Amino acid sequence: MDILHINNIKKTLQKTTILTDLSLTVKKAEILTLVGPSGSGKTTLLRCINRLIDPDQGTIHYHENDIKNIPVVSLRKEIVLVPQETYMLPGTVYDNIAYGQNLQGYKDEAVIKQSLTDAGLDRSFLTKDAMKLSGGEKKRVSLARALAINPKILLLDEPTNGIDPKVLVTVEKNIIDFARKRNLTILWVTHNIDQATRVSDRIANLKEGTITEVQRAQEFQWGSAY
Amino acid sequence: MGIPYTWQEGLVVLAFTCILLLIVILISVYKKLEIGKEFTYALIKGGGQLFIIALFLTILFQMQYWYILIWALFVTMILAAGHTSAKRATHMPQAYQVTTPAILSGATLSLIVLAISRAMPLEPQFIVPLAGMAFGNSMAICSVSMERLIREVSLNKSSIETMLSLGASSKQSLEPFSRYSIRASLIPTIDHLKTLGVIFIPGAMAGLLIAGTDPLVAAEYQIIVFLMIVGGGIITALITTTLSRKKLFTSNEQIQEWLYEL
Ligand SMILES: Nc1ncnc2c1ncn2[C@@H]1O[C@H](COP(=O)(O)OP(=O)(O)O)[C@@H](O)[C@H]1O
Ligand SMILES: [Mg+2]
Repeated sequence: MDILHINNIKKTLQKTTILTDLSLTVKKAEILTLVGPSGSGKTTLLRCINRLIDPDQGTIHYHENDIKNIPVVSLRKEIVLVPQETYMLPGTVYDNIAYGQNLQGYKDEAVIKQSLTDAGLDRSFLTKDAMKLSGGEKKRVSLARALAINPKILLLDEPTNGIDPKVLVTVEKNIIDFARKRNLTILWVTHNIDQATRVSDRIANLKEGTITEVQRAQEFQWGSAY
Repeated sequence: MGIPYTWQEGLVVLAFTCILLLIVILISVYKKLEIGKEFTYALIKGGGQLFIIALFLTILFQMQYWYILIWALFVTMILAAGHTSAKRATHMPQAYQVTTPAILSGATLSLIVLAISRAMPLEPQFIVPLAGMAFGNSMAICSVSMERLIREVSLNKSSIETMLSLGASSKQSLEPFSRYSIRASLIPTIDHLKTLGVIFIPGAMAGLLIAGTDPLVAAEYQIIVFLMIVGGGIITALITTTLSRKKLFTSNEQIQEWLYEL
């Protein structure tokens, strides 16, 4: 079943065309990686999907609804972006993870703790000052923070960037595990081809602002990518 | 009482102070401060405006129907203040739509309270300078809070986007930055309040002292005026940050495009 339909979108920023005639369909509960060289528009595409920006042309449908007809705040509770640049909110790790729930006016400790564990952090982190964590730990907190609002789709923008190569595979495994367990759909941006091969159900290649190829991971033609 | 010379004799005094000014300009040229041109322009503009207002007041104070003409003065004040403040709002489109109502509400509120409390007798000699102070102060506060708010948002786009992405409304994500901006805009006023009388004899009191009022009455009066002006300033800062939100964010909780282009 398809969960996301991106249909012929186009986006121009400061007179430069970033995305053009881009179409992509994402299936429910799959991990779809989006690969492509730096500057090809991967981040811009994710930002269109959670409506931090709107495309100039084309439509994006979540289930059967045009996302323009869904109240933005509700959309962002279901389609959650974990940005490329990790930014910790002031306060503890707990404050960060509880942030989304707080906004909605509830607190579910079980979900908060589960999200922390799913992101590969142990309980001792909860009381730590989020700003003082290492880059890799911050990345994990930003994953946990997104999980804590029970999203349906996660948009991960280079989630393992800056993570120590020794734990890279562990983080990948954490993400795959929580995705399967929670029946999550993941659109995962990476420029690491090996990673794409390891984690994906399908791989989409983004080149000069448009999707040039979408294939099952095993069948992906790396020759035509990049 | 008051200043012991006529306006014609005053011109001589003015000429003397101009010599001092000339020295300042020479120093600024010598030191390459590059403020000579802007300073001269500001002086001519400011001086010219003062003379025009002096003529206007001369007429106003003698008029029987001054309360009609004074509205023209108010309108000029608010338009000029809104426009000046809006220029501080780098790149914000139609910023006067924020600054004008913000200054107007803050200043009007303090003037109304002053009038009701009878601290401002309804005579042009009181209304004109107090209105000038109220509008001037609200304008200064509006400019600082505007400038600061835009800078905060522009520098913290990724943190704001993080909050928006976790389901925050624009109001919620802007909240910490509104607070910084309001606080920053009130710092000069609060510092003035702390140093009142020590290094800073404020306008109203200076005026009263020069005119020969009992210092105690002058001090008391100054505090009344100051409190009203602080109150008006806080209102102005609050309205500035509130109204700015629509200029900083779209109705879809997105940061406005112009902020990405700064
Ligand atoms: N706000 C913006 N204004 C202008 N150009 C932008 C903006 N954001 C991104 N770009 C440009 O768009 C292109 C694609 O950027 P991005 O989507 O971040 O690519 P990727 O994530 O694939 O590296 C880049 O050339 C980038 O410089
Ligand atoms: Mg990117």
